[in-house]
Amino acid sequence: MAALKPMDETLAGYLADESRTHGAAQAIAFPVSEAEVVEVVCQVRQDASGPITIQGARTGLAAGAVPYGGTVLNTSRMNRVTGLVSHGDGSFSVQVQPGVVLQDLRRDLERKSFDTTGWSQDSLDALEAFKAAPAQFFPTDPTETSACLGGMAACNASGARSFRYGPVRPHISGLRLVTAAGDVIDLVRGQVRAQDGILALATQSGASLEIPVPSYEMPQAKCASGYFASPAMDAVDLIIGSDGTLGVITQLTCDLLPVPALTWGVNCFFSAEDAALSFVELLQEAASAPAYVPAAEKPVASEAGTSVLQDAIVALEYFDGDALDILRAQRAQDPAFSSLPELRCQERVCVYCELAASDHGLMIEAVAKISEAMESVGAQPDLSWVGTMAADRERQRFFRHAVPESVNLLIDSYRAKDPAVTKVGSDMSVPRGKLRQVMELYRSTIQASGLQSAAWGHIGDNHLHVNLLPRNEAQWHQAKDLLALWAKEISAMGGAVSAEHGVGKIKRDFLMPMYGPEGVRAMARTKLALDPEGLFGQGTLFSLELLQEEAARQGVSGKGC
Amino acid sequence: MSCEPVRPSKEDSVSFDKQTTWEGAPFSVTVLMKAVPASTEVAMDPVTHTIVRDGGAAVLNPYDTAALELALELKAQLEGEGVPVVVSVLSMGISATADLLRDAVARGANRALLLSDRAFAGSDTLATSYALELGLRELGDQDLVLCGKMAVDGDTAQIGPEVAAGRRWPCVTGALSVEPAPLPQMTRAALAEAGLVASQVFEGEKRRVGVPLPCVVTVDKDAAALRMPSVTGVLEAQKSQVEVRGAAQLGADLAQCGLEGSPTQVVRCCVPETSGACRLLAGSPAQIAEQLSAIVDQSEGA
Repeated sequence: MAALKPMDETLAGYLADESRTHGAAQAIAFPVSEAEVVEVVCQVRQDASGPITIQGARTGLAAGAVPYGGTVLNTSRMNRVTGLVSHGDGSFSVQVQPGVVLQDLRRDLERKSFDTTGWSQDSLDALEAFKAAPAQFFPTDPTETSACLGGMAACNASGARSFRYGPVRPHISGLRLVTAAGDVIDLVRGQVRAQDGILALATQSGASLEIPVPSYEMPQAKCASGYFASPAMDAVDLIIGSDGTLGVITQLTCDLLPVPALTWGVNCFFSAEDAALSFVELLQEAASAPAYVPAAEKPVASEAGTSVLQDAIVALEYFDGDALDILRAQRAQDPAFSSLPELRCQERVCVYCELAASDHGLMIEAVAKISEAMESVGAQPDLSWVGTMAADRERQRFFRHAVPESVNLLIDSYRAKDPAVTKVGSDMSVPRGKLRQVMELYRSTIQASGLQSAAWGHIGDNHLHVNLLPRNEAQWHQAKDLLALWAKEISAMGGAVSAEHGVGKIKRDFLMPMYGPEGVRAMARTKLALDPEGLFGQGTLFSLELLQEEAARQGVSGKGC
Repeated sequence: MSCEPVRPSKEDSVSFDKQTTWEGAPFSVTVLMKAVPASTEVAMDPVTHTIVRDGGAAVLNPYDTAALELALELKAQLEGEGVPVVVSVLSMGISATADLLRDAVARGANRALLLSDRAFAGSDTLATSYALELGLRELGDQDLVLCGKMAVDGDTAQIGPEVAAGRRWPCVTGALSVEPAPLPQMTRAALAEAGLVASQVFEGEKRRVGVPLPCVVTVDKDAAALRMPSVTGVLEAQKSQVEVRGAAQLGADLAQCGLEGSPTQVVRCCVPETSGACRLLAGSPAQIAEQLSAIVDQSEGA
């Protein structure tokens, strides 16, 4: 039985996440199984000790896991791989509890070794097939590998490799959800699709639920902003990206892919941002359509799309000149950064390309195409690093992590002088073809504000993390205002106000310009159909007032217990 | 904006206003490199107590990549002083090792030679050293041979000293850096006589040792991170030829090659027991070697 523990000082860490937002709660539970999750939900309803805030590894950046009163349901002890599925065609899926940490799953997959206690015979048979098969991996690659799979599903996480593989959504083929009624819904991709704006769900106890699907149009861009909605959407896709507001995910079926025979990283340096953007546009044109675009709506591959790069490019990442200057300064003064390769003066901005190929010849062809693309935008191909060995790629990984780390150290030094300041970072994306427009927006508004900034991120998906670095409280407010302006402008471009971190609590106001008031109310109606009392994730996606208003219209409670 | 130079010059050890009069062939550095299993989880043969090499993915031994970086840094330094330098990479291995040597060329090596023949299969360190010696002869006169202190798969740390012993060259082991000894005038003869200054950690203490050229230097893994190749380097390396030689082409004595030439029998693998006892040997190098040999004989007898 998962007991509800009263919160005390020793549990204070469970009131915050990586967003550095702090909340409050009266109790916490650490269930280890779906049955215990059901017990906790029923107990909270019985005691009226809600709302319930669902937590995973608390690595989120949008405060989705930060409680606004009530009870915390922490899934970190639901950390078992519960089975393996062999699909008979050489492909596999792994079934996990939501608290399984990504780096642990990667380790188990690499070693082909799992704790099989309690596995079914089918899973044990699948394991034998898995051991005999080529190496497999789970493709979603958020920077934070200590994230758990439940959290990744909750915010539709993605990361660098989303350029090739899309976000986590298409790689989850099934899940189990404990509802606010303490019932269980078992969803398998392909089994329940929306019809006439309704998802008809059946629970394990035999109840039928009719969930209205919002009618807004999703952006044709990487998106982790509110509920996924489309006319014939799969029920699984509603739960993924729902930020812990619809129920407790208790199991995920994660689809695996074969590990590419070869993976190389290429850091390409440019003397100016304009050349780097031209380079990115060329590579976007050459690569496959991104996986976040539903299959029926994928654009037909262009002439350039038939090139070897179409299959080779896995990730396209950007580091702007401001970010590299901060890194240079940090490297010069901090021995912890001394193992980084030196950055030459003419290496002003960097685009990192991750390439995968089935053999050495194809990889060389892809590198030759990268060289041509660099030359065509006036860059020098010798201003580059190619990571061909594991040790190289480890240095490249260190470089990619050292950039945000350097910026965090810098903002820490500012905060030492003024405790009110924090880094103010964006997580917005725009559709293909809008890269220049959004970069112009960022550059012109940052210049006008006089704020210091550093930008990096997933430029292949037109998705940058533009970080504003205020030095005092007045600048911090200025940075927050700028972020709100970008949310409005980027919504107008057809983009997403959160591309991968989720909306959580700190970005919920950005949903208004993106979907409009009616869109957000439609989202609230979807929630209330599954969670009529507003039990889960209070303050996430919606303000309590908005949810209660909509609940009153629907004639349900919406009080958050 | 702060910006660092491409490579820091080592002005503390070499004066840049000195005269360079270099005659004859370029300064020749050869780096011995070994392909090792890419995975850290390798299987051991229960009978032979050796690693099962199943043809899986291979990488360059990380100790050898550190040696290559030191060679490339030395090349840059000497070339900056007007000394022409050729860095060659040499390996004994299966034909797929050619790709790894080509990768070394992409990073700045000038020449690559692979010794590949069934006759070399099953070589212990003695037979490997013999084959590498034939490869060194094939490459021509050498001024310096660099290699990793050890390989991550075999852990013997014997190849460098064995190659040095075969050539009767001095050997510095476990170097963390190498640089030319300071010279007022850079000529081949002066450089050979002054030699190199290497730093190493010996019995827990860092020290600098001078060594005349030609010599063998084995390199520690932490000495340097091998530079990454550029896109240009990778593409140009594809056009370069990795020379491949078999036993017959090298004029090898087959009795000294492969299993036939390998007296080593692996009885068991274990972590050696060590004690803190220390005994200093004194005398000339020959006398010290004699005393050391006696100690080894004595311990074998025990």
